[in-house]
Amino acid sequence: MEFAIETNQLTKRFGDVLAVDSVNLRVKPGEIYGFLGLNGAGKTTTIRALLGMIRPSAGNVKVLGQSVGLYGRGPWARVGHLVETPSSYPELSVRENLEIARRLHGVPDLEATSRIIEKLALTSYADRKAGTLSLGNLQRLGLARALLHEPELLLLDEPANGLDPAGVVEIRELLTSLAHEKGVTIFMSSHILTEVDRLATRISIIHQGRLIEELDTDALEKLRSKRLGVKVRDLEAAQIYLRSAGYKFALNDETILIEDTQAIERPDDIAQLMVNAGIPPMRLVIEQQNLEEHFLQLTGDTK
Amino acid sequence: MNGFLPSLWSETLKMRRSKVPLLTALGFSIAPLVGGLFMVILKDPEAARSMGLISTKAQLVGGTADWKTFFGFIAQAAAIGGALVFAIVTAWVFGREFSDHTAKDLLALPTSREAIIGAKFTVIAIWTTLLSLFIFLLGLVVGTLVDIPGWSTDLLRSAFGDVFGSAALTIALLPFVALLASVGRGYLPSFGWTLLSVFLAQIAAAMGWGDWFPWSVPALFSGAAGPRADLLGTHSYIIVILSSLIGIVATFWWWRSADQTR
Repeated sequence: MEFAIETNQLTKRFGDVLAVDSVNLRVKPGEIYGFLGLNGAGKTTTIRALLGMIRPSAGNVKVLGQSVGLYGRGPWARVGHLVETPSSYPELSVRENLEIARRLHGVPDLEATSRIIEKLALTSYADRKAGTLSLGNLQRLGLARALLHEPELLLLDEPANGLDPAGVVEIRELLTSLAHEKGVTIFMSSHILTEVDRLATRISIIHQGRLIEELDTDALEKLRSKRLGVKVRDLEAAQIYLRSAGYKFALNDETILIEDTQAIERPDDIAQLMVNAGIPPMRLVIEQQNLEEHFLQLTGDTK
Repeated sequence: MNGFLPSLWSETLKMRRSKVPLLTALGFSIAPLVGGLFMVILKDPEAARSMGLISTKAQLVGGTADWKTFFGFIAQAAAIGGALVFAIVTAWVFGREFSDHTAKDLLALPTSREAIIGAKFTVIAIWTTLLSLFIFLLGLVVGTLVDIPGWSTDLLRSAFGDVFGSAALTIALLPFVALLASVGRGYLPSFGWTLLSVFLAQIAAAMGWGDWFPWSVPALFSGAAGPRADLLGTHSYIIVILSSLIGIVATFWWWRSADQTR
């Protein structure tokens, strides 16, 4: 199996609304794949199509090497999912909600429910009715349901929703360990960019139903990398000097962006050198572009 | 159907933990209790007036205080009251998955959607049959306590047939309620449909077309408008069975094929 998730020209139309437009996704086994988009960009529709909950208007979907066919057929015993807001049967306890999931997933191990309750730190709520849970604990219950049958692929729609900061860190660590230690493929949608940025090995951005960019590990690394921004009065002289001194740099507007590690670690040296060369810097700043800026730039441009 | 037994276990657990069985049983128990009250009044209208059970102006027409009348009343309750109470049960079993946003957790599972829907229909059939049995047994208790005259085992046998025949015909038409709760993604469309079908059933029966209109058949079977032999034919039962099958197939088809966006 080359890809855990593969879509070809996936398109979904609801009447006149084109919710997803010719999306081609390729998610490799073991990847943590971030799927970013604004509200209404088409993230949930895509996830529902991956899970066979909606029928594509055009294109096709393969999950774990198997076509997601008519009547919702797919390799669902190997897939865990959490779609949109977490839900539960309110009059049933946390344990009973998970017991239903265990049976419907055909998990024969009777201890599976207790294990996942413990793993998701739900032990003190196990016998409490799900209707009385906070949003954060409901989210934990949703994640517990998704993880109960130890799936190979996790499709998570906004997994950090409603969790407190400690819960966010805990779930992040859990997902990372699942990916690294058990080789679980994780496909997660989010609009919380910092979360995706910290977790994902690859990211794609969906906007108005179209996949507008895909960033692999290198591109993400580059995006996260630091640069030393230098502003001078004589831009041309500064460029000639830095080139002759062997520094690698790029130009952005009127700012010189130096990518050398040495320059980033010791900006005072650069300042001294430039002063000595008669091109004193007006401004020196360590810059780090983040995913958020990049995302806003992309989605803003295409409006 | 892959996973039918786990689905049945799940649906039974949801039912056991819900207040709806208790509430529907309480609601349905009104029929034999009110029937018992009528029997008390019919047995001795003057005593009922003096006790203040009925107004002195009340004109009591039709019906005598005997087991035949009492069983007839329960059979009509099973048909007409059943149409409403059983619809609540069905709307709850299907509609709750949308109201609680749990429908999405029933779709991408190794357990087939057919098994889940089959389990839902099975639970509804068991539940509504138990409700029918409950009002029949409660009716026997109430009738015995009120000491209604005219008891015979032959009458008991025929009354059992009347009550359960009426209930079975009502239950057979519930798949449409399930379909509306599914397509409408909640309780309200199915309740609207139930009220409309009861209303249309009255009109069809009043116009003399009740034997051809499936939703009129249970009430006509119960004897609400006279002896059923004069009102219904084989075609009436065939229409009810066909309607039931159409409702079941349409519900299965919808859960298998429709876009699940909630």
